[in-house]
Amino acid sequence: MILSPEVLTLFILNALFSFFATIAFILSVKIFLKWDTDSTCQAQYRLEKQSFLTATIIKYIFIIKVPLFLFFIFTLDKISGLLTGAMCAAGVVNATTYGTYLVLLKILNLYLFAYWLALHNEDMKHEHQPYTKIKFGIYIALFFLLISEIILEGVMFKAIDIEKVVDCCGAIYSSSAGSYISVIFRVKASLLLTLFYGNFLLITILYFLKNKYIFALSNAFFIIISLITLISFFGTYIYQLPTHHCPFCFLQKDYYYVGYFIYVFLFIGTFYGLLTGLLRTSENEISKNYKISLLFNFLYVIFLTSYPVLFYIKNGVWL
Amino acid sequence: MKNKINIYLIEFAINAILRQKYKSLFVSIVFILLTFLLTSVFFITNSIKYELNSTVDALPEIVIQKTEAGRQQNIDVAEVDKILAVKGVSDAIARVWGYYYFENAGVNFSIVGVDKFENQYKSSLAKIVDTFDLGEADSPLMAIGKGVHAIMQKNYYKEYFNFIKSDGTLKKVTIAGVFDADTQLESNDMIVISKETFREIFNMPQTKATDIVIKVANSSEIATVVSKLRLMYPNSSIVTKESLKVSYQNIFNYKSGLFLALFIISLFTFFIVIYDKVSGLSSEEKREVGILKAIGWRVDDVLREKFYESFIISFFSYIVGVGLAMAFVYIFQAPVLRDIFVGYSELKPSFELPFVFDIQTLFLVFFLSVPIYIAAIIFPSWRVATLEADEVIR
Repeated sequence: MILSPEVLTLFILNALFSFFATIAFILSVKIFLKWDTDSTCQAQYRLEKQSFLTATIIKYIFIIKVPLFLFFIFTLDKISGLLTGAMCAAGVVNATTYGTYLVLLKILNLYLFAYWLALHNEDMKHEHQPYTKIKFGIYIALFFLLISEIILEGVMFKAIDIEKVVDCCGAIYSSSAGSYISVIFRVKASLLLTLFYGNFLLITILYFLKNKYIFALSNAFFIIISLITLISFFGTYIYQLPTHHCPFCFLQKDYYYVGYFIYVFLFIGTFYGLLTGLLRTSENEISKNYKISLLFNFLYVIFLTSYPVLFYIKNGVWL
Repeated sequence: MKNKINIYLIEFAINAILRQKYKSLFVSIVFILLTFLLTSVFFITNSIKYELNSTVDALPEIVIQKTEAGRQQNIDVAEVDKILAVKGVSDAIARVWGYYYFENAGVNFSIVGVDKFENQYKSSLAKIVDTFDLGEADSPLMAIGKGVHAIMQKNYYKEYFNFIKSDGTLKKVTIAGVFDADTQLESNDMIVISKETFREIFNMPQTKATDIVIKVANSSEIATVVSKLRLMYPNSSIVTKESLKVSYQNIFNYKSGLFLALFIISLFTFFIVIYDKVSGLSSEEKREVGILKAIGWRVDDVLREKFYESFIISFFSYIVGVGLAMAFVYIFQAPVLRDIFVGYSELKPSFELPFVFDIQTLFLVFFLSVPIYIAAIIFPSWRVATLEADEVIR
């Protein structure tokens, strides 16, 4: 159990979130069951008013959650100084069995909440609010994810044992490790890079073809292949070390916090890419989503490509 | 574009804040006080932590202490040679040091015995030995820290000091000079004397020492050296620099964590106060919202305006609070507050809090204040925004 001020802050905000999320949940259930736009009775008017409250609460939670996620990673980095063996957030994440699931759940929630927000914005544009029932239905599912995330976070921080020696990221992300991650290193880098750039090329082509479902699908694939190539190939150039693969270390000061940019680019690019296929909206909106998605995916690719290229220019060899 | 920030709406929000002068003023003052207090505490702990860490950095890699029945005992000086034989150890020095309780002032001096012809385990100590002459066995001299000097002056020991030996007789030691060390935290209560004098005062035999410090040239070998030493001295406690650092970190996390835990109560109070303040709607405000809705503002617009309003107030107060805390801690050296962390000893080190800028602290305070404020206004704002125009204006 670690009682550092950062962890306490996370707990306080989580308590606040659970309180508000529960209120929003109760209202959502009511709205989801009884919503009827054509009705003119008192209850429907009340529901309409309450829908504003619910939406505001969810928006509030999401808007705080985004910077809080970065703060969470920051906190993990800081705690790593307390654990023997850990040198960055990777060690803390692996210190307990819950860490990996928590991070994955947090990322998933981030995508889902962002999707909810996009749906809500779309909903508010129409006079009849056609998505109201769906969006609160989605929130009911989201609520359980959010609460399990909060519980998992509490359990994880409670389970961290300061005395125990944990693995450092060099051990977790090494090709000799017996974990599922080591599978990545057995695949040839050239194959992964072909997939990565091929995927980006596909996204670019689909941008011109405007096939939104395949565009969204290729974006979903792009998330996975991006993370794999980031760990197996691009990471080594950021660190300029052929053996270091950690996807957390470059979030630290020593690498000028570049990791935050990398992940933000990837998140925005792929999120808007997914949105094109998942949200039915006006033509204008869709073409905007296409543009944002392509722009940020492009930035991501350029940003990461620049590392090996600059390394080659400076040193004349590949790692 | 609906998502764009509306400048006119911000202007309206600022004007709305100015219209309700007293309410806004009250809220910002409470808010500023809160962030000010919180930020100050974190700034102070950060600075002390920094100071302590730089002290720890100067320490030797490993310290070995002999323990018997859970208490520290004097260790044989002869062990030094055995330790030096361990591969990886570049130097091992037997230290003699201890605390001397000075009853008149009710303080403990830390007394360090040094030998002029030995390697010193700390560069600051080497400097002191080079500068000051510590005299012979029959006419001993001592170098003292600033805090010790002040205490002795107060008790009329201007030129010498009488130590009470373990057999009850007195030992007169003349003050050779006052030294200035790199960090006040470690040296304020320090007295440096020669090893012979130390042994005489505390009746320690020549063959014994307080503990042994060990230097390891290659820092990645420390763990191996420690495990070898553990095998050699299974009943001794072996402390490494790293473990000291971690325990310092833990102590300060504990202290500021405890403070934060108490602080939760104030946060909760803050939440209630704001909630209460914002939900008390004047008829003026009600009319305002009524008119806005009558001229075509939607619920969303009113909510957005309220959000801007609260964000401007909270962010402004946050910036002012942090600014004040910076001035309070780094310019005025945090009177009163820092005593909580430094302690109440008479010989309290009078160090300056070094300026340590940690951006994470700012984020921490931000997350503890702004979201809580905004959370407190969600309900009241929603109630205002959903007022029916006709009911209010009527």
